[in-house]
Amino acid sequence: MDLASLIFWIIAVVLVAAALVVVGQRNIVHSALALVVVFAMASGIFLLLNAEFIAIVQILIYAGAVTILILFALMLTRIAGQRVTNPNARPLAMAVALVVSALVGLGIIFAATVSQFAQSAPAAQLLQGTVCSLPSNNVIAIGQLLYSPSCYSYVLPFEIATVVLLVAIVGAIVISREEE
Amino acid sequence: MYGLYEYAWLILAAPLASFVVIVFGTRMADLWSRHHGQTAQDYAAYLREADPAFAAWEATRGAGGHAEQQHAAQAAGPAEGTAHVGHGGEAEHQEHHGDPYDDDPTVPYLTPWAKLSGYVGIVLMLFACLYSWLLLFASLGLLPGTPRLPEGGITLFSYTWGSDAAFQPYTIAFHLDNLALAMTVVVTTVSLLVQFYSQGYMASSAGYARFFAYLSLFAFSMLTIVFAANFLVIFVGWELVGLSSYLLIGFWINKRAKPAEERPAPASAALQAFVMNRIGDVGFILGIMILFATTGTFDFATLAGSGPHGVAQAFAGNQALLTLAMILVFCGAIGKSAQVPLHTWLPSAMEGPTPVSALIHAATMVAAGVYMVARTFALFSAAGPQAFGVVAWIGGITAIFAATIGLTQTDFKRVLAFSTISQLGYMFVGLGVAGTEIGPGAGMFHLFTHAFFKALLFLGAGSVLHALHHAMHREVQDMRLMGGLARFMPITAATWLIAGLSISGFPFLSGFYSKETLISLAFEHGDYALWAITLVTAGLTAFYMFRAFFLAFGGKGGALGGIWGGPYRGEGTPHESPVTMTLPLVILAVFSIFAGYWVGFFQYLDPHAPLLDLGKLFSDGLTWLGVALSLLGIAWAYVLYCAVGWERVHKVVEANAVLRFFHRLLLHRYYVDTLYDWIVRYVVLGLCHVAAAFDRFVVDGVVNGVASLVMELGSGLRRAETGKVQAYMTVFFGGIAVFAVVVFVLATLR
Amino acid sequence: MGLTLTHFVVLGAVLFCIGLYGALTKRNAIAILMSIEIMLNAVNITLIAFSFFNHVKPYSNLLTGQIFAIFIITVAAAEAALALAMIIAIYRKRQTVDVGEIDMLKW
Repeated sequence: MDLASLIFWIIAVVLVAAALVVVGQRNIVHSALALVVVFAMASGIFLLLNAEFIAIVQILIYAGAVTILILFALMLTRIAGQRVTNPNARPLAMAVALVVSALVGLGIIFAATVSQFAQSAPAAQLLQGTVCSLPSNNVIAIGQLLYSPSCYSYVLPFEIATVVLLVAIVGAIVISREEE
Repeated sequence: MYGLYEYAWLILAAPLASFVVIVFGTRMADLWSRHHGQTAQDYAAYLREADPAFAAWEATRGAGGHAEQQHAAQAAGPAEGTAHVGHGGEAEHQEHHGDPYDDDPTVPYLTPWAKLSGYVGIVLMLFACLYSWLLLFASLGLLPGTPRLPEGGITLFSYTWGSDAAFQPYTIAFHLDNLALAMTVVVTTVSLLVQFYSQGYMASSAGYARFFAYLSLFAFSMLTIVFAANFLVIFVGWELVGLSSYLLIGFWINKRAKPAEERPAPASAALQAFVMNRIGDVGFILGIMILFATTGTFDFATLAGSGPHGVAQAFAGNQALLTLAMILVFCGAIGKSAQVPLHTWLPSAMEGPTPVSALIHAATMVAAGVYMVARTFALFSAAGPQAFGVVAWIGGITAIFAATIGLTQTDFKRVLAFSTISQLGYMFVGLGVAGTEIGPGAGMFHLFTHAFFKALLFLGAGSVLHALHHAMHREVQDMRLMGGLARFMPITAATWLIAGLSISGFPFLSGFYSKETLISLAFEHGDYALWAITLVTAGLTAFYMFRAFFLAFGGKGGALGGIWGGPYRGEGTPHESPVTMTLPLVILAVFSIFAGYWVGFFQYLDPHAPLLDLGKLFSDGLTWLGVALSLLGIAWAYVLYCAVGWERVHKVVEANAVLRFFHRLLLHRYYVDTLYDWIVRYVVLGLCHVAAAFDRFVVDGVVNGVASLVMELGSGLRRAETGKVQAYMTVFFGGIAVFAVVVFVLATLR
Repeated sequence: MGLTLTHFVVLGAVLFCIGLYGALTKRNAIAILMSIEIMLNAVNITLIAFSFFNHVKPYSNLLTGQIFAIFIITVAAAEAALALAMIIAIYRKRQTVDVGEIDMLKW
């Protein structure tokens, strides 16, 4: 077993365990803290897959911003006298959810491993635009792919994403604003 | 060449024109001439205010009693609204007389437009009448320069639907031959006289203009039957006369039923007539269908011919089917001519105005069945002998059946109604026993003479009712309230006596020739049972006609031994009717005497038929047997109702159990109406209830069940909308899970 | 034995199922949001793994999986902001964040 595999397995086990804690904890604050672990472990997986930029972004946005946001929301929605802050649904609903989740997951695993679709290679497509020679540095490569005005890049989706973010900011303010 | 005949369609067009003119012209003007939708009563009140001359005229009329000229001037209710009104009206007299019946409104004053409506109808009908008489004389060869009609007749008008086909069965065609012409003369003459008469009879009835429109419509419809060249046109005319009959029977639509006198409401009587005719018409149309399906044509001449479309070839080897078809066709005649068992509508139809009874339900429309059989005589001849057997026997049974009922009826018009049914039976006997060598002449001859004297009887009865209505201020048709009227209304009585003698077969009057010919024909052709029936019926006819005459016009203690006048059992003083009503009576009396002297009638209809052999008729002992029976009937009526008196006869009958039984049986018309009522009430309506239940529970049940199923399903599915986001999400991913399972199964099965 | 694409895809699937289970069973709206974040992370892992294991030129140069992941992170951030704003708004109105009680859209 090489080092990468070892790291993968460690991270994977912690990741799944943390995710189970998130889902299984009756205290919502514990769940939120476990969520931080999930994000961090995911970031490790990204590093393992040579996606340094995304790993950093994952730490910054998820483990930093989103978790803090969630914690703030938890504080703002505190209900006095509530002991179980993260209750479960009725047992029947939980059983149904378990079956559904298991079937979906098994379906995905089946599709990814056993079925014939897993073996077929992607067909070569004609690419439009010029592909710049990308550096091996992941951050620079992502930057070029996102912003490059001359080469093949995702600049238009990126601009649209900025608009989405703007709308989300404005919308969040409008929705959560106290009414006079 | 046949120029004069070619324009005979004008006879058909004239009544249609007057119908259109009245309905769309003068009647509209009549309605609009009344101020702002006022009723006729309001209009009179308005005239009283506006026109001093009208007020003065009305005042003199109100004070002057019931003088003749005031009837002629179409007098009705005077200003104070207490004196007489026409036959239509008792509504405003209810409070005065406590009369439990209400009636159609009467008019105190006819507007000029209403009168004009009458004149339009009369003038156009006068034209049609004169033209038809001209054609009759021409066809008899009496008109120099004009040839007789060819034997097959001429086609007046023909329009074919679908012009290109080599053979066109669907044709609107009118046809004129001697048979049609003889009938045309009857129809136009009686129509003219009845319309003229209606001027007086209907003078105070609301809807005067409408009445003339209906009469014109009827004349048009009847002439459509007469001129019809094929079964399609005759069926259209057949239904049109049914419609006009319906409209005219129910003319006084607001009149109620009079259970005490067993008289239905005119509206229900009209409905009854319509429905009874439908029953017969089902047979009629089935017969036509069989004929058409086999031969492929409706045309009378083609059917009777020897071509491939004639019945002779088309039904070759299948005569039974033709016999069935002709019996079914005869069913139409049974309904229209009120033969047993579809006769009950005709007595009820007497609820219509009396001129209508005279025109439609005595002289013309009910004879349409006879005419139709005469028209299709060749087809009946081609069919098996059973066809004519059915015709003759239905006729014979009806004749004696109706005659016995007529013996006991006390309603003046009903006696005449049953007399009509009986005489129509005679006509069918005549058609049925005549055989091909004589042709339809015998039956048609009786139709021809009967039309005149029966119209006269009805118009005379109408004259009596009119007078009694004015004398008693209510509608009186019961003969027990009459008596001795000959003193008050001699013209009516005299003409009625002539008609009564004529229908009884008194020698040298028209009925003698036509009826005795029929009876002797039955004997000659070996139908001894029918001969006996018709002979007995002749005696019965004489008895009940003179029973009616003595009850109404004579009575014990009157002049001439009770024949002329006698004690009057009603109230008030009746007066002779106005000249508008008596003139038609006199004219019809002339016809009633002389119509029988047309000895060439058989030959006129069928050139191969013999002349009416007067010498044989007078020398035959059997003829005089019939006359003797008739005279016996008259004498017996005289004994009972002039010598003994009606009241004592009644007492004797009531005292004797056997006589009482028969009296009840006949008075209730053999309980046929009761039987039909029972059948309708329990059988027909029972089936209707079953059908209604089927409709309600099965048909509606399916429809409503589907609807409520969808509703229940919807309100059940509504529960799926829980509003809970997790439920939606579970279902969504559940779908994906199912999809995953399906993919798994499919992928592993490959 | 070495790491293969299957390892990461199965990891992503497991993570996705855990997140899905949480989203279906939790009654606290914020917990549901957290579960959804786990699901998104699972997807990101899968995408980046595909990107990593794609050796077909020139597609392997384009890092399409990573770019997709970046956009998912972007949208997820926006989604988180909006969802929390909505949860806070609902909490103000109804004094609850229990999705079992938030059923104003029902029949």
